Formats: sequence, structure tokens, C-alpha cells
Amino acid sequence: MKVSFNWLKEFVEIPTEPRQLKADLTMVGLNVESFVAAGDDWVLEVEITTNRLDCLSHYGVAREVATLYRRPLKRLEIFAKEFGARSSEEVSIQIADPDLCARYCGRVIQNVQVKPSPGWLVKRLEAVGQRPINNVADITNYVLMELGHPLHAFDLARIRERKIIVRRALPGELLRTLEGTDRILTSENLVIADAQRPVALAGVMGGEDSQIFSTTHSVLLEGAWFDPVSIRRTAKAHGMHTEASHRFERGADIEMAPPAVDRAAGLVAELAGGEILRGLVDVYPRLRLREDFVLRRSEIQRILGAEILWEDVERTLRSLGFITERRGTEGWRVTPPSFRLDVTREVDLIEEVARHFGYDRLPARLRPAPPRVERDATREKELAVSNLLCSLGYFETIQSSMVDPEENSRFTDQPPVILANPLSQDASALRSSAGPSMVHALRWNLDRDQNDVRLFELGKAYTMSGDGKPEERRVLTLGLTGRRRPASVHDSERALDLFDLKGDLEALLGLFEIAGIGFGTAAGGHYEVSQSGRFTSQGATLIVLGRLSREIEHDYKLRQPAWLAEVDFERLLAFPLRSRAFRPFSKFPAVERDFSLVVPEVVTFARLEAALQRLTLEEIQSLRPVDLFRGGSIPAGYYSLLLRVTFQSQAHTMTSEEISAASQRVMAALEPLGVFLRG
Amino acid sequence: MQSLFAELRKTAEHERAELVSCGAPNQTQRERLCKALRDRWLARKGGFLSQADENWLKSAGRELKPAVGRQFNELRRFTTSLEFDSLVEAVPLQQESVKQMELPLASVAGRPVPGDLTLPGFHRPLGSIHPVTRMQREIEDIFLRLGFRIESGPEIESTYYNFDALNIPESHPSRDDWDTLYIDPKTVLRTHTSPVQIRAMEKYGAPLYIIIPGKCYRHDNPDSTHSPMFHQIEGLAVDKDITFADLKGTLDFFAKMLFGEKVRTRFQPSFFPFTEPSGEVAVSCFVCDGQGCRVCKQSGWIELMGCGMVHPQVLRNAGIDPDKNSGWAFGLGVDRFAMVKYDVNDIQLFFQGDVRFLEQF
Repeated sequence: MKVSFNWLKEFVEIPTEPRQLKADLTMVGLNVESFVAAGDDWVLEVEITTNRLDCLSHYGVAREVATLYRRPLKRLEIFAKEFGARSSEEVSIQIADPDLCARYCGRVIQNVQVKPSPGWLVKRLEAVGQRPINNVADITNYVLMELGHPLHAFDLARIRERKIIVRRALPGELLRTLEGTDRILTSENLVIADAQRPVALAGVMGGEDSQIFSTTHSVLLEGAWFDPVSIRRTAKAHGMHTEASHRFERGADIEMAPPAVDRAAGLVAELAGGEILRGLVDVYPRLRLREDFVLRRSEIQRILGAEILWEDVERTLRSLGFITERRGTEGWRVTPPSFRLDVTREVDLIEEVARHFGYDRLPARLRPAPPRVERDATREKELAVSNLLCSLGYFETIQSSMVDPEENSRFTDQPPVILANPLSQDASALRSSAGPSMVHALRWNLDRDQNDVRLFELGKAYTMSGDGKPEERRVLTLGLTGRRRPASVHDSERALDLFDLKGDLEALLGLFEIAGIGFGTAAGGHYEVSQSGRFTSQGATLIVLGRLSREIEHDYKLRQPAWLAEVDFERLLAFPLRSRAFRPFSKFPAVERDFSLVVPEVVTFARLEAALQRLTLEEIQSLRPVDLFRGGSIPAGYYSLLLRVTFQSQAHTMTSEEISAASQRVMAALEPLGVFLRG
Repeated sequence: MQSLFAELRKTAEHERAELVSCGAPNQTQRERLCKALRDRWLARKGGFLSQADENWLKSAGRELKPAVGRQFNELRRFTTSLEFDSLVEAVPLQQESVKQMELPLASVAGRPVPGDLTLPGFHRPLGSIHPVTRMQREIEDIFLRLGFRIESGPEIESTYYNFDALNIPESHPSRDDWDTLYIDPKTVLRTHTSPVQIRAMEKYGAPLYIIIPGKCYRHDNPDSTHSPMFHQIEGLAVDKDITFADLKGTLDFFAKMLFGEKVRTRFQPSFFPFTEPSGEVAVSCFVCDGQGCRVCKQSGWIELMGCGMVHPQVLRNAGIDPDKNSGWAFGLGVDRFAMVKYDVNDIQLFFQGDVRFLEQF
């Protein structure tokens, strides 16, 4: 809200400059964002939090200033000089729905001359960001800015039978509001109606028909109090947000209605030459009084951790308009003022006290939580995984969870979670696969000539379960493209292939204690069938990996092959990290033997490995495929594999006889697979 | 562009030369190998030549088209030597006696070690942790030192946990302070990590000392300071005698740990429906020591976060007796912290996956 420094000074003495006022107001919770010079005045831009309706006016801000600087707040001296007939003879006011309208005040002013406002008024309004219209409308705005109470001015001649009825709209009733929109009303909407039809949407906006025209003669000024929830619903339903609805939905000051009407009437008489009829019509069916409640000194101590003097508490609360009454040594009975509907509990009073005592003057204490015996197992696993991937050359990325659902469906069969009010089509669903996000990241880099890319993302995937409940699970995604290493004087360059990714994933799985890891080929879908596979544990898939399919490569305009791995991180987290335990190594020499094998094409390395594992020959320390070759002297339907086996005994130095016996057992295990040694 | 075509041409030459120099063991193998090489380059669907056509020639702009076309034709002329017939003719059948197996190994081993030690060392690629994660862990570590536990909760949240239980009823204007992404009228993408406060209090009761990192979402159009997806960390302490002094002391400690011992903190009143009293915390600028600079926008202070004493109704909503227990809470934006700490001027940089950005952390 824009606040004029000079206007404030009409209500309170300010013993300081705008710059200091800005700092001081901020420290009591009225955050002043800026102040700028406006002629001989200063305008402060004050951020008013949702709860502080009372500060959406100069008088309200002045009250905070008065409390801040311990100065008296000027009492409102409102005087309306009355003439002639009684207002109540000129207009009848009836509240048909007292639940939604607790008070309605009206005053009639006759012989009004509608014309532009005088310069000083225009200047004030413009300083606080209001556009001048005509003197009567400007006066209601002026009083709004001054006292915070929304008013409305009707052309009384256009109120049929001079009857005001505050009622719910009839379903389907029409009202053209001030800005020229025709609105179809429902019984949820409270309206101000005349004898025949609605003339205003209560607390939100007036009707076009009954507004002040240049020819208007008789003015009816309205000051009312409407139910906040009802105003909020109506404004929302009609997509409206006005100065009036903004205030009424926050709970306006019911006691401010009469003085605001009188203040405006006085100004109309002064500036528009009108005559105020006698008596305020004040329909107030059920007096609304604020209930008092107790503020305990012990509670101030319990919440703030500080003792605050009796006098400080009383001075602050009284200056802010609360009534305090001491209750022995315990504390006070406090009655909040009508303009502070946000204060309903003891703790709200404690905030008021703390605000003006100064948060910075309150004590500070550092006390750690009680010690706990508990490890953050999940976090340890996450750290292990991300550290490993970083050391393998992957950059962590964070991609948006929101994707285009159509794109998402290319990567998974699981339905994504659709948003009801998305920002755009390409962010209209929560991804059920992290694949598209990763492909986007790869493409982003390739499009910018960053051709060697390795990324990982630890995020979530979301889906709608069978029973229509959204589910989310953690996923780890790897994406890579480009070269394993760039060319340098030390080495020639070398493109990445599937085994780079597979090796990294084997290292990842090696962090955990996982029973029965298996590998199967062919993942399909968005992967190239012959270049994809999956890691499993006891039948359940842990990781799917592979080269992105040609279609994806083509459609995403990837200029070079790219690989993707999708890790079911939730499942991975269920395994413990590999325990670190030392196993004594053999004191005896190890011997390497190379087997130059000729292997039928149908026999995979996995089968060779399995055959040798079944041997349970404990002298085999390791076996490594060292070279693989097709063609040359190798017959069709076979490939050549150089297998390097390391033999070592825990108990003694192996003799050459033992080694050749072991070698023979190796071959004996492989021969049933059709494997033979190269001649 | 030129280098791309040159590269392709070099590769084609290389692949052809390799096949020609190795030869094939027999007729059938020779035909198989020649066909494979031909298809790789010339296949109408997915061959390198047609890919080059698709991705470069067809998509070239008008002014580039002649140049690209020339390059492309040159490549195409060369690749005629990859036609099946011409390949079969060139590839010899191997002699039985030749030991081909050694060949691939020899070429790897043959690089001389350079004698000039001023040459740069060999760099293995190294990755990095994302700056937001880095920031998040740094914050977590501070609270872990104080004995807090890390909690998490769902990103898809009910309106009850995201709003109602936090004292933000649908009927109150404060609900409008959060621009919300909805799934249905009762389900939202959480707008803050605060709903996990309620979930954790329901689950563990008091005493409770937790921090809650996680993704949050708002209906905000992306720009350099806004992202519809962002990260928050929530802190919550509930115990028998927690006071505003604990809130101040803890957050002051936190700010000093994060930004240096010299910084000061400033607390000013604010409003959140789920805390009372509520506050905003600012820290004296750690760059200029409060003198005013670009980072603190000349104010000397950097806004850190919102905080306050947990509202008694919120405690009650979560099944905790507010007369026996009290608590403090705070919520901060991790992305914004990372922007301040690492001098990042555009929040969008965090979510693009650009390696030129990521490699700096």
C-alpha cells in the first residue's frame, strides 16, 4: 500500500525523517519497501501482510507509528452538519440476511453538484495510486485510503422506491457491474437491491445503473459490514478482486462504518455543495462485541523466553487500541478492538507485545536437540551413489518434474499425473518416467555444441495407481553421449559405447550388498533392441539401460548416439551398502594363464562364466576376457576369446602340475559348451 | 559444418581401409562384412548418408544450402566406393597362415611417451554435485550437527496437509498467498515443505527436531528469479520449553555456520498463518559486511527466510498439546540460497542440465 508521509502526520506526530520511519516500521512488521519524494510529500510503499487489514489505511498505519514512537494518536473528529429532512424519510434500509450483512449504514445528501475534485484531493489520491473520477467517487476513495472502510455512493434517484434491501440474489438475476460486465448471480451472492432488482454486488462492486452520474442530485452513501467468507466466495466466483472485496474478505471494522459514512458526507457537503439530511440510518440488528480473554505473564515468558515489564505490555496494547485490565499477579483481561479481527488468542497478543518490544531486543539461546542414536541410512546411500557417479565423470542435474504427457508416454506405459491448471502444455503432467527429462538435457547440450555429456539425476517419478491415487517413487537416471575420452597427446580419442555405461552401472551396483545380480538383454521400447539390457536381482528389474532408439534419436534431433539408464532407486535403497570387511589375501604367488578359446557364437560370456563358477575351483582368483576377435582364421559361427585366468592358493605355492590340472578342469568345464582351444 | 563432413568422410575412409587391410576369412564372411559396411553408410533408412541428408542438408537455411550441398555431394561421391560390388572387389580373402589376432592390440600399444613434461597431464573426466544439492547438504549438515533428523514427505499433497492443517482455510484470503498447482480440488503439488511438519508431528509427537528438504511447486511463470519447481528446507523443533529465544539462537548459529562467523542476523515481524509470532530473518551481507553492494542490493542485508513459533492451533491439529509443548519453525528457499552463495543470476540455469554450468561446481 502507498502511504503519504504528510497524510500520516495529520494523525500523529512523527519525530523523524522518512528514511528512519522506513527502517522503524519494518522492524514492527510493516515492511516498507521504498520511499520516494512526491513534491513536498514522501510516499512510502508499505507491504501489508494478509492479517493486518487495519493497516490498509493511513489512520491504521498512524496507529502503528504512534505506538512505535510513544506518541498519542489523534482522535477522529468527524462532524457532519445536517439540514432539513431525516435520511430515514428519504430512504428505507432493510437487511434480509443478517448472517451475511451485520450492519448497514446510509446517509442521504441532497443538491449535490458532481464535478471534478479540487487539486489537493486529486494530488493526494494520485500520490497513493488512485485515479481521480469525480468529486463524489473520489471522496469515497479518499475515505477508504484514510480510514480503511470501503464505501459506496448510489444515485438515490435511480434506487426504485428508495428502498435498499440487502439480500441474497435470486438464482439467475442479472447485474451489470460498474466496469460494464453483465453478471449472472446465484443465491450464494449477496446483493444490495432496490425494490425491484440488484443495484450492487455487496462488498465487491456497484452496479452501472445506480452509479454517480454528472447529473446526479441526491447521493446515498453506504457504509456496511459483510461476512468475509461470503464476500470472498462471491468475488472468486465472479473472478473479481476490488479494493472493497480485498478489505471485506479480510474482515473490515464494523465500528468504522458510521464514522466513515459521516466523514465522507462531510466532505461531500464541503466539496460538492450538498446538504446532509439529518440522522444516520444505521441498521445493526445484533451488536457485535469483541470477547475478552486472558493474557498471562507466564505465557509471555513461555513463548518469548523473556520477561517483559507490566508497563511495557500495557502501553503497547493500549496504544494499539486494546483494552487491558490487570488480574492480580497473573496478567490481564484483554479486549481487542473491533478493527483487529486477526487477534483472537493469547498468543496473538504475545506477538503484538513482541513486535513493539522489538524482536531484536528479545534474547537468543542456542540449544541443540537431545542426542539421538540413529543413522541416516538413506542419506548415506545417496551420498555414496552421487559421490561414485561424480568420480566416474557424471554431472548431477535437476530436471523439471513437469513434462508433456504425450512425450512422457513414449518412455513408459505408466500413466503420468495430470495437472488441472498447468502453466503450459509441455509442463502439464508430472512425469511417470525420468527418461524424457534426461533426453531433453542431452539435447540441450548437443544443441549447444557440448558433445561430451554425462549426467545423472536423483529425482522422482509420479504415477496414478490403479485406484486413482497418485504415487511417487525415487528414480536415478543416467544419460551419456560423446566420447569416453577426448584426443590428447597422451591418447587417441575413443567414442563411448554401451560397455562404458554398463561398467559404470556395475560399479554402482557394487556399492551395495545385492543378492543374485543378473543381466538380461533387450529392453526395447525407447531403447535400441540390440543395444539394451537390464540388471535384475532375484527376478526383479533394478536397472534398464541401453542406447536410445533410432526413432528417439531422430525425433529429438540428437546428432550422435546417446545412452540412457533408468535405475529403480527405491528398490536399490532397500539393499544395504556393501559392508567393508577385510579378507586376508594369499601370501603365495598368483599365476596367470591365458586361454585362447574358440567359442560358438551362441555361447555368451555369461554362460562361460557361469560354467566356471559351477566348478567351485577356489584357486581361481579372477577371470577376465582380455581380447575378442571374429573372422581371420576363426571359422564362421565362432568367435575367438582370450580369457585370462588367475590362479592362486591360500595355502601354498601352486606347482606347475596343480596349475595344469586346474587348467584342464577349466577346459573340461567349457568343452560341453562347444568351446575349444585355438590350435 | 565443414569439419562434420570431413569427419564423416575420414570415418568412411577409415572403415573401408580397415576392412580392406584385414580381409575376410572366406566368401560368405566377405559378403556379410561388405553388406554390413554398405548398409551402415548407404541404407536408405538410418544410413549415415541419409542421416546427413536428413539432419544437415534438408534443415540447412537458404544461404547455407549451396555450401552444405557441395559438402554433401563430395561425401556421396566418396561413398560410392562403399557399394557392395566395389567393396567385394577390394576386400581380399585371408591367407590361412596370417595371424590376424595380434593386429588390434598392436595399434593400441604403439604410442610413444612424450618427453616434454610441460605438457598438461592426462585428465580423467570428473563430475560434480549440483549446486542446489550442494547447498542443501551444507544446510543439512549444520542441523545434523545440532542433532536434528532429516524427514521427507510427498510432493503430491492433500489440501488438508498443505493448507487446512496449517491454518490456511479455503475461506481465508491468506490461501491466495500461495499460487497453487492443482491435480484435483483436494490434491495439490505442495507449495511448501510445511505439510511435512504436520505429518512428522502426527507420526512422532513431541519432542521433535527435524529438517525437511524437498521440491515444491507454484503456479509461477518461469523467469530469472522464479521457477514453478523449486527447493525448500523446513526446520521444526517441538519440545516442552521451546521459546522464541531458541528460534533466534538457532538461526543465528545457522547463519554464522553458513556465511561466516562475522555475520549478524536481524529478526523482524511478519505473518504466516501457521506461526505466531512470525518473523523474517535477514543476515548482514557476507560480501560487503553490511556496507551495501550488488549482492545485497545496497541494503547491507540479505533476506534469508520466514520463521516463527508454531501456531498453537497447528500443534493441536497435529495432535500435540500446545499447553504442554511449544515449537519453532522456519522455511527457506534452497535455490535462492544457492543463487546468493554461488553468485548465480538466473534460477533457470539450475534446471537446464547445461554442462558448461554444472562443471563449475
